[in-house]
Amino acid sequence: MRINPILKKDLKTKLRGWRTMVLLCCYILLLSAILFLYFAGNNMLVPYSSTAYSPRMAVDAYNLLIVFQFALLFLAVPAITATSITSERERQTLDLMLVTKTSSVRIVFGKVMVSIAHTMLLLIASMPVLGVVFFFGGVNFADIAKLLLFYVITSFFVASCGVFCSTLFKRNIVAIITTYILLGIITFGPFIVLLISVYVKELVLRNVGFNPTYGDFLKPLFPSSIFGFTSFYYSGSSMYGYGYSLWGSVCQEIESQIARETGILRFFKPWIVNSVFNIVGSILLILLSAAKLNPVRRKK
Amino acid sequence: MMVTVENLTKRYRKTLAVDKLSMEIPEGEIYGFVGANGAGKTTTMRIIAGLLAPTSGKVFVEGIDVSKEPLKVKEHLGYMPDFFGVYDDLKVTEYMSFYGGLQGIYGARSDELTDSLLELVKLTDKKEAYVDSLSRGMKQRLCLARSLIHDPKFLILDEPASGLDPRARVEMREILKELRTMGKTVLISSHILTELSELCTSIGIIDDGRLVASGSVSQILEKMTHSGMIRIKVLERQDEAVKILLEMPEVSEVSSVSDILEVKIKGREELFAKVLKELVDKDIPVVSFHPEEGSLESVFMQLTERGTENEN
Ligand SMILES: Nc1ncnc2c1ncn2[C@@H]1O[C@H](COP(=O)(O)OP(=O)(O)O)[C@@H](O)[C@H]1O
Ligand SMILES: [Mg+2]
Repeated sequence: MRINPILKKDLKTKLRGWRTMVLLCCYILLLSAILFLYFAGNNMLVPYSSTAYSPRMAVDAYNLLIVFQFALLFLAVPAITATSITSERERQTLDLMLVTKTSSVRIVFGKVMVSIAHTMLLLIASMPVLGVVFFFGGVNFADIAKLLLFYVITSFFVASCGVFCSTLFKRNIVAIITTYILLGIITFGPFIVLLISVYVKELVLRNVGFNPTYGDFLKPLFPSSIFGFTSFYYSGSSMYGYGYSLWGSVCQEIESQIARETGILRFFKPWIVNSVFNIVGSILLILLSAAKLNPVRRKK
Repeated sequence: MMVTVENLTKRYRKTLAVDKLSMEIPEGEIYGFVGANGAGKTTTMRIIAGLLAPTSGKVFVEGIDVSKEPLKVKEHLGYMPDFFGVYDDLKVTEYMSFYGGLQGIYGARSDELTDSLLELVKLTDKKEAYVDSLSRGMKQRLCLARSLIHDPKFLILDEPASGLDPRARVEMREILKELRTMGKTVLISSHILTELSELCTSIGIIDDGRLVASGSVSQILEKMTHSGMIRIKVLERQDEAVKILLEMPEVSEVSSVSDILEVKIKGREELFAKVLKELVDKDIPVVSFHPEEGSLESVFMQLTERGTENEN
């Protein structure tokens, strides 16, 4: 199959010139700075410090970096994709694409691919920084590989949401804001649903006491990328007893629930379940976007 | 038949943009689509190109129903809208290969086609220029080249000459003549009839979404060979002549421009003789009697005026 012409054109124009290179350098510098400050702040760079070298500390640094990357993915990808169709519309080039024999599904897919390519570029560029963590040990390679896969699938979904909003609205800014709101609901909404359901169950089962299983977490949380992300966060007791981390303990709780599962649910790891949801969701969003673009079906 | 349009109707919320329009364009024809701004030309063309769904009616291109198999139709169809649609950060060759890719043309074949098309539109020396840096006329020609990248049999050109200076217009017209010799079928619109009369083989006049006249250029001219205006010069007794003319039921209006009377006649050429006879019978010294030549322009004015009269 030939390379999607939209992917080719957008990458060509985006990678041309200094802008992308400068952004990429800033990004790597930022990641390095986070790592450096973290190590420096914990005396890990002082040769004879009593708290120097500790794998656990490297793991904490790793956690920090991947959370940062994850947040960046959610902030950056919508900004790229939510304007992908609106800006074509603004330039009046949308009709010129639609009047070719390229189907609207392929046009939408091309736009989604552009942002996945961007994400991959950022991820690959960040590999050397993550590699530093290896140097300190404590993180295994398979986990990083899985994490990259999870990031790509997540950005597929985030990009599809962005392109979908981009087909719905005429103006850039409306499309961007709607994308953030939509993603906010999908990622944080499930946790609110979970809290409410736990609260209700505790009320109902006041005497017996509510003892949640993994299934109770899984059911409301599966659409949330944050839930999927818990698979990658190295929980377990932090190096220091102080600073109780809510997030770490949530991850730990979910992990221990899975450990207790004996049935099929054992294999439904958060990241796998969430990735399946993301893939199915992306495909639906792409088809919807294509239907919205299809001029012959388009009313008005 | 290259294009068949049957009872095409398009209604936007309030406006009826196209009203039961039917037309046929045979293969090899250069069909001029003429109408004032807002007459419905762009809407009709967008529907034929499969960019807009009609409210009702059908469009066939090479016998293929546009609403049923839009992608198949698009293989045979090139469309140049009434705007440029360019990317500011692409070079001319990249722009062409992008649209080549969208039409399923890649690699060496795309390069070859790009070269020959850029030659056709005289942009060969601008190959490496950024699209943004081209002049209006050049951009317009580049857009024409883009719409030809997949060698379509049928071309839709929406006001290709609008907004161009006279020189660019002439260049554009030369290229369009070239297309005619290449055997393309072309639907071209303009709000200026004379722009098309030299170029086209057939003409359709659209007014308020309706096709008020269509046929070959000569057929249309035949329909109304005169403009309905006679310039009469009399030696003396001009006031008396005006009075006589105004009494005739065939005369709708008389105005005098210095010593020349401009007389508007309702009806066909036969009446001219009657008017002349009447004047001569009344002993008016007519020294010149000059029916104004029927031009495409005046035909257009009459047809579209009549269209609005019918409405009231
Ligand atoms: N998107 C639209 N929404 C509402 N009305 C429209 C739209 N596009 C065109 N129209 C109306 O339809 C009529 C025909 O427009 P158009 O086809 O652009 O005419 P032309 O190309 O002959 O100048 C006009 O009255 C115009 O105002
Ligand atoms: Mg128009």
